[in-house]
Amino acid sequence: MLGLTWIAGLVRRRPLRLMGVAAGIALAVGLLASIGAFLSRSKATMTHRAVAGVAVDWQVEAQPGADPAAVFATVTAFPWVVTALPVGVADASGFQATTAGSTQTTGPGVVLGLPDGYTEAFPGVLRNLTGAPSGVLLAQQTAANLHSAPGGSVTVQRPGQGAVAVPVDGIVDLPQADSLFQRVGAPPGAQLQAPPDNVLIVPSARFAELFPASAVVPPRRQVHVRLDHRLPADPAAAFSAVSGRARNLEVRLAGAGMVGDNLGATLDSARGDALYAQVLFLFLGLPGALLAALLTAWVAAAGRDRRRREQALLRTRGATTRQLVGLASAEAAAVGITGGAVGLAVAAAVGRLAFGTARLGATTGSAAAWAAGCLLAGLAVAWAVIALPARADSRALTVRSAELGLARRRPPWWARAGVDVLALAGSALVFWLTGRNGYKLVLAPEGVPAISVSYWALAGPALLWLGAGLLAWRLVDLGLRRGRAVLRRLARPLAGNLAGTVAATLSRQRRTLARAVVLVALTAAFAASTAVFNATYRHQAGVDARLTNGADVTVAEPPGTTTGPGAAAQFASIPGVRHVEPLQHRFAYVGSDLQDLYGVRPGSVAAATQLQDAYFAGGTAKALMARLEAEPDGILVSAETVHDFQLQAGDHLQLRLQDGRTRQLTTVAFRYLGVAKEFPTAPRDSFLVANAGYVAEKTGSDAVGAFLLDTGGHSPAAVARQVSALVGPGPTVTDLSTTRRLVGSSLTAVDLTGLTRVELGFALALAVAACGLALALGFAERRRTFAIAGALGAGRRQLASLVWSEAAVMVVGGLGLGAVTGWSLAHMLVKVLTGVFDPPPSHLQVPWAYLFGVVGAGLAAAAAAATAAVRSARRAPLSVLRER
Amino acid sequence: MTGPGTEEQPRSGDILARCEGVARTYRAGAVATVALQGVSCCVRAGDRIAATGPSGSGKSTLLHLLAGLDTPTVGTVSWPALGSRSCLRPGPLAVVFQAPSLLAPLNVEENVALPLLLAGVSPADARARASDALAALGLEDLAAKLPEELSGGQAQRVAVARALASRPRLLLADEPTGQLDHANGTLVIDALLAAAEANGAALVVTTHDERVAARLPQRWRLDDGRLVDGNMSACSA
Repeated sequence: MLGLTWIAGLVRRRPLRLMGVAAGIALAVGLLASIGAFLSRSKATMTHRAVAGVAVDWQVEAQPGADPAAVFATVTAFPWVVTALPVGVADASGFQATTAGSTQTTGPGVVLGLPDGYTEAFPGVLRNLTGAPSGVLLAQQTAANLHSAPGGSVTVQRPGQGAVAVPVDGIVDLPQADSLFQRVGAPPGAQLQAPPDNVLIVPSARFAELFPASAVVPPRRQVHVRLDHRLPADPAAAFSAVSGRARNLEVRLAGAGMVGDNLGATLDSARGDALYAQVLFLFLGLPGALLAALLTAWVAAAGRDRRRREQALLRTRGATTRQLVGLASAEAAAVGITGGAVGLAVAAAVGRLAFGTARLGATTGSAAAWAAGCLLAGLAVAWAVIALPARADSRALTVRSAELGLARRRPPWWARAGVDVLALAGSALVFWLTGRNGYKLVLAPEGVPAISVSYWALAGPALLWLGAGLLAWRLVDLGLRRGRAVLRRLARPLAGNLAGTVAATLSRQRRTLARAVVLVALTAAFAASTAVFNATYRHQAGVDARLTNGADVTVAEPPGTTTGPGAAAQFASIPGVRHVEPLQHRFAYVGSDLQDLYGVRPGSVAAATQLQDAYFAGGTAKALMARLEAEPDGILVSAETVHDFQLQAGDHLQLRLQDGRTRQLTTVAFRYLGVAKEFPTAPRDSFLVANAGYVAEKTGSDAVGAFLLDTGGHSPAAVARQVSALVGPGPTVTDLSTTRRLVGSSLTAVDLTGLTRVELGFALALAVAACGLALALGFAERRRTFAIAGALGAGRRQLASLVWSEAAVMVVGGLGLGAVTGWSLAHMLVKVLTGVFDPPPSHLQVPWAYLFGVVGAGLAAAAAAATAAVRSARRAPLSVLRER
Repeated sequence: MTGPGTEEQPRSGDILARCEGVARTYRAGAVATVALQGVSCCVRAGDRIAATGPSGSGKSTLLHLLAGLDTPTVGTVSWPALGSRSCLRPGPLAVVFQAPSLLAPLNVEENVALPLLLAGVSPADARARASDALAALGLEDLAAKLPEELSGGQAQRVAVARALASRPRLLLADEPTGQLDHANGTLVIDALLAAAEANGAALVVTTHDERVAARLPQRWRLDDGRLVDGNMSACSA
């Protein structure tokens, strides 16, 4: 009853104090709940994307001696199997084709036998490039090696049997060749280094003719399976479910078959990404929630003197310690529940805006659990900032000592112990140690059930937060204590002969001001570091998409094309196209290793695509392109090739490329110039970059593999539509915006757009609250001081000089220290979270517009608080003068 | 620059402040509280007035009106020998408040110098005059102390010194001993009388303590917002 009366009185008499604390709690709870919703949805998205990206969930291979029909029957009867089709796999000694009087022969290859309806059941396995979509199909690279095209024929050399010719109906791409040609049942280390270069696909009936079960080398029999995709939302749980089912099927097969668990392998990778999302939550979201809690503590602390006086008064009226703590706990519960409820409502609204749903979790259960957790966190914050200090005060303070504050001059224990310096040194040490490990945060060995996060790396940024905050406090305290003369000089233009009074006021209130400056600095640092991280992430996601697609719009010519660079003119005339760059794509043998070779025009390639310095080693992108132009026989090779062949700068490489005139491989001499780690449209493993003019001269062919189109800001998708209409069905036209959506490797699968909006929105709110709310509450708590000054005759300008000087110290000091801290944090976050970026950024991206917006909003909030304080001081009721 | 206390001193008998038919009503929503009604009185140079009455009788309201801190709902308040309302503080009029009124972040000397600085006195002169004011009340040892380090009586005497420093012609004290014990209260009243004497200032003290009132020769008695006892006829001069 007493508690209710007390709260009712507070609502009537101290609404600002209650609202301030509740607003802080609402921010903390809102941020936690929003980020939690992001985390939950991200995990669900990752599971969904991982599942959607798998062409064949399971490849169940019948073991030698087992009855394939029995295996098929067992698989078909397995509860979670939706579709199961039998597939034959046979090895071929090689393929041969004769084109225009020239005969090409390949090395060993694989023949697949697919039943009718396979491409409909498993649409992701084959992508038709040209010719018929079914029948006898040749893989793209095989077709290129054999110079074969639909309508021609290929001879299959069968081990232990004779060669047999089959007509070629179409050319296909095998997007998931790695998993399709896996060695089922083999451990990760025993898997093939690369999928076979030569692949032929035939219908099941023809496969049975080519490779009968009675053959000397009998074919392998697989069952390709699509599973029921109703899986847990969390990738780790989904992985556990799928791999468990795979083991269950193997038990049912009793040794007759092994499961190649492609879905499990993909989910295995996704659960690593999920852990990265969790790490992102910890690195980016948790500091914001803690800052909101800190802001709440500051707001509550602004009213602590008043609360102490109230407590002292209650004690003189006979209140016991237990009653005092009880009242404070009731106040904490009231603001905790109110703030928490508002925070959850804010999170629901934010979720609807940012993620398209108001739910705080992927499932109702997780949403409820997360909401309850956030509410409890809000109550804990309220209890920590209201009830805990009241409990300490009630036990430690006398009525008289409750009024003391400014006379306590001893530095706090942490300052005497140098905790700030130790924390910063610790942060640097952890950062260095993490760097030695290559910033590997998520340790998810392929195929190994256990997965872990190196949470140790979190200590670097955490200690930087702590050290920077405490050091900011120390610097402000020192500056205001020792720099009174400087303050007086600085205040003189504003305060005139009151400059000394202003300086004395600032100096003696330095503890309060230092806390305020730290709060502003940390919120500014949060906004700056989050914004820079997000901008860099977004930029790199764009770079990744551009790296994959090559340019705004890319026109990939079909295999065997003879289209030359002159065709660029037809694209250049399309509205919206600013520049067209032809890019050669050949295959070259480096020793026995077949690698992609890209022929570029070094002087103009950068006009259509982005070449970052991070893509190369041994020089900047510009310098290496300049050298490639000046030294046409130069070549850039992958780091792996440099290592394998022990190359030194200037070494000569003898590569074998196909001659366009003779269709035979011809040796071309190149000189090693540097390392290319990434290149637009190139695969992630080994590839080569050379001068297109030199390649054309030496091979007698200027055939272009792709045209890279720069749209100069025009919509890539719109330009791509026009290009598609122009070129017809042969070439493949892709655009940047589509690729950006499709790029789903690693953590780029996590759509940070929603998180970005939430983070940046809350960072802005925190900065505004820190600058405005904290300042306003501080002034409100000292309104009697200003009222006395007014009663003594202080004019508006004189009152303003007292108020504005305080606001200036807080905002200028806070934003300045926040900028330095934010910059350091952004650098550390981008480094520590290197695994998130693909490719790693060469420099940070600074979203100046947002940062200026934060500074502007903070300044506006502080100005509003200061203006209101001056106005309030001028109009203070006389009753204020009678307050103690 | 002209500072407080440097103007021509009023002659004995000049009217420093005058209330004519003054009423003051406070409103809180629909509720109106009449704090003062029909009050006419004046303070002349050299007066030593104790305004007494029970709690809620309107003493502080009257003092605030005389100090120009508040405006009447009905009637007029004027300061014939002091000037307009806007130039009373800091200047020819000083107020000592009931509750501790020293600014917490300023030490005693800075607090005492504050009204002088607000009036445009140079910092060096303000410090010197603050030291003189403290010395006049025997408080020079407290100059470097912060308000929170003072006892209630010390703080109130420093507040008197602050009022004294600006050399006012009219010194108004609102229950200056209300929160002090008798010994400290006596010290504060001594200080007020000494300050008024030293400056030749008129002094009005509101109090409900008869012992304090007895120290001042003139008496206004208020009851239920009305001035029931006082030399009102003297205001007509």
